[in-house]
Amino acid sequence: MSEVRTQQVTPSLSTEKPKKSFLNKIGFGFLYLLLGGFAIVQIYPLIWLLFFSLKTNKEVFGMSPFSLPQDPQWGNYTKAWTSGNIGVYFFNSVWITISAVILTVILASLVTFAVTRMNWKLSGPVLGLFLVAYMIPLHSTLIPLFKMYNSTNLTDNPLSLILSYTAFNLPLTIMILLGFYKTFPREIEEAAVMDGCSVHRIFFQITLPMTVPVLSTTAIINMIYNWNEFVFVNTFISSDKWKTLTVGINNFVGQYLTDWGAIGATLVISIVPILLAFLFLSDKIVEGMAAGSVKG
Amino acid sequence: MKSVMSNKFVIALYTLPALLLILVLIYIPIGLSGYYGLMDWDGIGEMKFIGLDNYITLIQDKVFWSSTWHSFLLAIFSTASLLLYLAISLILASKIKGSDLLRKIYLIPMLLSSVAIAQLWMKIFDPTNGMLNTLLGYFGVENPPIWLADPEIVLYAIFIPIIWQFAGFYILIYYAALKNVPDEVIEAAKIDGANPLQIAFKIKLPLISGVFKVTIMLAVVGSLKYFDLIYVMTGGGPNGASEVMASYMYKEAFKLNNFGYGSAIGFGLLVICLVMTWLTSQLTKSKDEVQF
Amino acid sequence: MIKKKAFTAVMSMAIAGGLILGGCSSSDDTAKDSDGSSSDKTVVKMMHIWSEGSSKAQYTIVDDIIKSYEEENPDVDIQTEILANEQYKEKIKVLSASNELPDVGVTWAAGYMKPYVDANMFTPLDDVVEKDKFVAGTLDAFSVDDTTYGLPLELNITPVYYNKEIFEKYNLEVPETYDEFLNVVETLADNGVTPITLGNRDRWTGSMWFMYLADRIGGKDALNNAINRTGSFEDPALVKAAEEIEKLVNMDAFVKGFNGLSNDEAKGYFMNEQAGMYLMATWELPNYTTSPEVEQEFKDKIGYFKFPIYEGGKGDVDSFVGGPGIGLFVSEQSKVKEEAKDFVSYLVEEWGKRSVEDAGVIPATIVDTSSGDLHPMYIDILNDLSNATNLTLYADVQMSAGVADVHLNQIQALFGGQTTPEEFAKTQEEALAAEK
Repeated sequence: MSEVRTQQVTPSLSTEKPKKSFLNKIGFGFLYLLLGGFAIVQIYPLIWLLFFSLKTNKEVFGMSPFSLPQDPQWGNYTKAWTSGNIGVYFFNSVWITISAVILTVILASLVTFAVTRMNWKLSGPVLGLFLVAYMIPLHSTLIPLFKMYNSTNLTDNPLSLILSYTAFNLPLTIMILLGFYKTFPREIEEAAVMDGCSVHRIFFQITLPMTVPVLSTTAIINMIYNWNEFVFVNTFISSDKWKTLTVGINNFVGQYLTDWGAIGATLVISIVPILLAFLFLSDKIVEGMAAGSVKG
Repeated sequence: MKSVMSNKFVIALYTLPALLLILVLIYIPIGLSGYYGLMDWDGIGEMKFIGLDNYITLIQDKVFWSSTWHSFLLAIFSTASLLLYLAISLILASKIKGSDLLRKIYLIPMLLSSVAIAQLWMKIFDPTNGMLNTLLGYFGVENPPIWLADPEIVLYAIFIPIIWQFAGFYILIYYAALKNVPDEVIEAAKIDGANPLQIAFKIKLPLISGVFKVTIMLAVVGSLKYFDLIYVMTGGGPNGASEVMASYMYKEAFKLNNFGYGSAIGFGLLVICLVMTWLTSQLTKSKDEVQF
Repeated sequence: MIKKKAFTAVMSMAIAGGLILGGCSSSDDTAKDSDGSSSDKTVVKMMHIWSEGSSKAQYTIVDDIIKSYEEENPDVDIQTEILANEQYKEKIKVLSASNELPDVGVTWAAGYMKPYVDANMFTPLDDVVEKDKFVAGTLDAFSVDDTTYGLPLELNITPVYYNKEIFEKYNLEVPETYDEFLNVVETLADNGVTPITLGNRDRWTGSMWFMYLADRIGGKDALNNAINRTGSFEDPALVKAAEEIEKLVNMDAFVKGFNGLSNDEAKGYFMNEQAGMYLMATWELPNYTTSPEVEQEFKDKIGYFKFPIYEGGKGDVDSFVGGPGIGLFVSEQSKVKEEAKDFVSYLVEEWGKRSVEDAGVIPATIVDTSSGDLHPMYIDILNDLSNATNLTLYADVQMSAGVADVHLNQIQALFGGQTTPEEFAKTQEEALAAEK
């Protein structure tokens, strides 16, 4: 803790205040302009997507992308919802994503805790193993994984997706957690050990709550990746009943003709739940801070 | 106390499940990838062992090296963009009004799938009706570039959506890290008379340096193995002008029936990632860092 | 805290539930399947690319055919898995590498099919094919060494579609010679109208232009001979064709930024009447005839003409670039080969009867134009087809995958002004020669 130095600040600034606050205001105004501009850039895609989903194929091409749909094709949404099994795809996307996210975050926390808090010689190499695992390009693994799942009868089984997503997201999650774990002081845990707590208690009741902000962060990241994941679903799953939303989008990509409006509608439908989950989780990042900060 | 934290059983319990997962689902494929690289195989019929031929061809393959260069450029630009994201996060994490709402808005594009992003940006880059050229037209630009069709600039053009795609990702991480900085430290600094800039540079940044280094690693490796938008938006074209390692690998393995060679490219990608990661960690090393 | 704990608990139960569901259901299915196959039905697995969302007409026809087949053969159960084009190709790759091809699947002709045939992945279909029911040449594209391995479902030729209104506006007539064609291009370009729309990011679109010029200048065998190695790609006719392409590009004949546009994007210009002409295959016909998604007003403006003849050239106007589209294969390793083969031949036959009217797709089997009321453009096309002197299969389909890639890249380079016609020819000649 740094010293609390008392200092009389206010009186000497009484003459400078008006000038400073004016400059301040301009500075802030400019800042807000920039920030606001960037915000528009960031939210525009969502609005654009909405318009896109309401256009006919003809409007999608040829007309200015800024243009509003002339005759909103709400039918695109009906089409998206009723063609194929979108209800099933939706449900699958939800529970597969949630399962994989929870599994990943828990396993990653366990590993990061062990690597940063426990004493063992192999912690470096093991961490290295996870790091190197991040480097493999996705498509290199398709055929080997398919062969493995095929021989264990896990093809066309959502378990193959959950396990694959977890395995592929572990390196990333661990790396992010690692960065954060290093900033947490070890004194609390050391104190707990002296108090006679078991490792499990330390992990679950002290460390884990402390890391809620970063857990929310990685949960969001994992969630987005799993929700939008496509290649594995396409390769490992064949029955309609296990397919997810991302594959459902391809229902509208034809051999020679693509129904862009319906694709847009499907994209909008698929972004809603994840938007909601995101808004919910992103608050946790700040909440967790207030509740979980244990200092001093 | 030491013994509690050195309990081998607990360590094993905590690390084995995850380790097992990646050993089986990632390392076996890595091994197989290298193995297939030793074969002359079209992915359909019989494999024929040809030893290191593919790898030797790879080393001499001009297309491979140009795609490596492109991936490398992406890594550089991505890493540079981290500074921008950091700056934005610093602003968002400070207590200015509206930062909460802004934060949520800034992260929205992160939720979009590659399909949506690809569509959006292709509309932006369309040479005739696209948003960019329409805007340039308003400003009186006569012959605006044809973006994705121009081999000279396609690479830089395509970098924009790729880097933009990850804005949310990094801002999110930096934001969480910055929020992690204890309030008391900041308050104390304020009382000491530090202005916001000083607080940012001398207190916040050093305290999140661990996280920052992690993001550098993520940016570098992520860029080297990047695939999605390149494949969908340019196909690596025109004529290889925007080819990256992962798209080259995909083409050879899946489109051209050169699965053996494609696997070798994939393995080459891995090796290059290893080298770059080591280099990056050397460059960002600090005395008290845990070495990866 | 309590809320969080409850949340965690619910989530854990969700995963557990999901995992159990996942485990249970697949074992349930396997149980059903094994019961099924031994007592009730023979399961034939089929993969195709016509999803209900995008290709509703084709999907419906196939679905109906499956249902009627199952009615006539109550002990057979046909299960379908439908994927979009790109994803289908990717997955078939993975499946073939693991020897897990579906019993029945979609294949493309010639160069695409050959590796599978060489690896014994497709079973010969000679015993279920009635050769005279197919349009001449379509089966050849799906045969290797005189044995048929695929039954074609589609046949496409490539006319030049044009916007009659735009032509009228500038007093243009349908060109019959190449010089007249160049005149059309110049007039449109001078008046600020995009003469031709082209989406050459996909590369095969530009290839079709080259192929027609090669045919009209060098005759129908020039290109084919280069590919099958009885001739050379550096044949003067082929180089001349490349030079003509260069000339067209320099005349601004093509839409701006064509090398970065996908076919879909380019098509948009034509559909929005921002371009005068569009060279594309007959799978586009529904857009100009029967599709309910396109305004009648637009459809009435569209006509087509055959690619013009080249003065002094050897090609005639009735020679088309085109050929069979997708066909069906039966996996050599299928456990239900006989049933699969029977189903495939049934499907192809029934398909031929309905595809033109119901889906606007020209089948590879000979169509009877006398019955039914087809849209006049279809009748014209079918007549042109029956009078065709030659069908040149798309170059990138004829070639093996590796050479096709060189060809397509060269096309993009030629159109983009990054290579000379001589280099263009030389590079491809070298690629073809290097093939084992």
